[in-house]
Amino acid sequence: MIVRALVVLLVALLFASALGLVTAQFRTRSLFVDLERSQQDARQLDVDYERLTIELARLSQPAAVERAALKLGFRAADPRQTVYLNLPQASAATPVAPGPRK
Amino acid sequence: MSRVELQRRGARRSRRADGGGRERVAFSSNPLLTVALPAWRSKLLLFMLFVGFVALGGRAFYLMGGVTTDFLQRQGEARYARTLEVPATRGRVTDRNGIVLASSVPARAIWAIPDDVEAEAAELAELARLLQLGVPELKRRLADEDRSFVYLHRQVDVEIADRIAALKIAGVHSSREFKRHYPEGPTSAHIVGFTNVEDRGQEGIELAYERQLAGRAGSRRVIKDRLGRVVEDDWLREPVDGRDLALSIDNRVQYIAFSALKAAVEKNQARAGAALVIDVHSGEVLALANWPSYDPNARGRLSGDSIRNRAITDTFEPGSTMKPFAIATALELGKVRPDTRIQTAPGRLTIGDRTISDAHPHGVLTVEEVVAKSSNIGTAKIALELPPQALWDTYTALGFGQAPRLGFPGAVAGRLRPAKTWRPIEQATISYGHGVSVTLVQLARAYSAIARDGELVPLTLTKIDEPPVPVRVLSAQTAAALRKMLEMAVGDEGTAPAARIAGYRVAGKTGTAYKLKNGVYVKEYVASFVGFAPASDPRVVIAVMVDEPSGGAYYGGQVAAPVFAQIAGATLRTLQVAPDGPLEAPRQMVALRSPR
Repeated sequence: MIVRALVVLLVALLFASALGLVTAQFRTRSLFVDLERSQQDARQLDVDYERLTIELARLSQPAAVERAALKLGFRAADPRQTVYLNLPQASAATPVAPGPRK
Repeated sequence: MSRVELQRRGARRSRRADGGGRERVAFSSNPLLTVALPAWRSKLLLFMLFVGFVALGGRAFYLMGGVTTDFLQRQGEARYARTLEVPATRGRVTDRNGIVLASSVPARAIWAIPDDVEAEAAELAELARLLQLGVPELKRRLADEDRSFVYLHRQVDVEIADRIAALKIAGVHSSREFKRHYPEGPTSAHIVGFTNVEDRGQEGIELAYERQLAGRAGSRRVIKDRLGRVVEDDWLREPVDGRDLALSIDNRVQYIAFSALKAAVEKNQARAGAALVIDVHSGEVLALANWPSYDPNARGRLSGDSIRNRAITDTFEPGSTMKPFAIATALELGKVRPDTRIQTAPGRLTIGDRTISDAHPHGVLTVEEVVAKSSNIGTAKIALELPPQALWDTYTALGFGQAPRLGFPGAVAGRLRPAKTWRPIEQATISYGHGVSVTLVQLARAYSAIARDGELVPLTLTKIDEPPVPVRVLSAQTAAALRKMLEMAVGDEGTAPAARIAGYRVAGKTGTAYKLKNGVYVKEYVASFVGFAPASDPRVVIAVMVDEPSGGAYYGGQVAAPVFAQIAGATLRTLQVAPDGPLEAPRQMVALRSPR
């Protein structure tokens, strides 16, 4: 009698464990699909970032800045229009503070 | 209820009613129908069934239990497992401040199987529009029946490829690849170089650092489900992305050098030009510009002439820019002092059967003035006092005659013949820069030794964190004396007042050399200027070379020195170097005296 009950119990356990295995496998796979999708998104974001960096470099290249500055009527700074302030304990490497000449 | 049914019910009831006492005879056990079968037949049947099952079991074991599983395993896997190539991204090339000079983004190659293509005229027109091809051109490519595969367009942007895919034209496919972008375009084209459509380096840094930049593609084994989603994977080989590379170039200085050079080449109607800016302390190349240039983003119309990096791969006879090194040797050996007087009159000197001359006669000059006024005779007279080997040793120590170890493809050594083979006339001409050929990189590096008190450091095109170990090639006193002479050369009495700039003291030397074509000197020139600034504490060495100026002016002081001035002024301001000179405008006087 006990043996029979034990067998029934073990069969039930086996069945439950088998179902558990299937569920776990299924969850692993669906989580993996999510992970894969997230990694895909991350890669896409990387690509977008790279694209934007290139775009930034293209727009900020000195040639483009110069064109825009000329359009606005800017001129490059020149030592003659620059006021140089000598800080106390001035040495050969005096920091330069640019500013308009009054 | 129908009648038939009622009758049937009645019949059933009656059967039950009368079935009680009598033995019922089943229809199947009608004795008339009984056949006496031998017992072995059923046993045989049972046995055959048994054999059948054993055969099935055996077959199943044969297929699954490990005897020969390969075939089925393969067939199964072919239905759910795939090996995916995982591409590695090529590393970026940036400047010293992290500004991107070259970077890869995914793109698509659009290809077709001509036999399979079925499309209506409207679809083809749309495809041609997206690919920026003409319809006839597209049809021509698709009409090539001999080929089972034809690229329609490579390196197409992903968005455009998606729109092509949305057309769903049978037989037109796309595959993944990368497209390299060069945001700075022509400005830094020669140093960065370019890649081909397979994303492999072809020129410049892209070629030189191919191994570091390229990376290695990986692959992984995946299991796909019914919807094509990856549900399990197994890495066969992890991809290794290419490493980024930071160059020593400063893109602001690069632009300054490039635009100044371009303007000068165009103004002087020259064939070509090159300019180089070197950080004196670290040996880093801050800018390396060439003109003519090309756009590495649109490589359809490349010619060898425009892709050549002249500063590194082209040698030329430098002319007077070589003079300071002969003077340096004489100073080192104590043959002359800066104030030793040299007679250069009457402006001609005959050595053997050849006569060398100055462009303008000068009379008696001090050694300092020989450099400042660029006297060929003065230099030759000093050089002839020296043992040839000593001169050769100085040149060699300064890096002439050897290819610089820049790690750049195509770096050349130039020509410096062994001292034993020099005849006196050659010794004289070599001292003022003829009969010897150098590259602009070699010249700039040699001048950096003068700029940094006689020590020489290796040049580098990549950003370095620690300053390199210097090698002493000249004494500090000699270097200081040369700096003074070179500063005099840009003075009012020198050959290159046009090199002066507001706010900074500069020093440098002009060069105007005849070109050698097919072994004969012709009346075409290379105008050059090599110098450094600020003269009190040099920060950058700048070398400029303009090839065959034909706009009237051709002296180094007229053509190359103004380029030096533009580059030096803007570069020092950009690098925020404190001024060391007068702030008033330099007198923009063009040197007409002592051109060489």
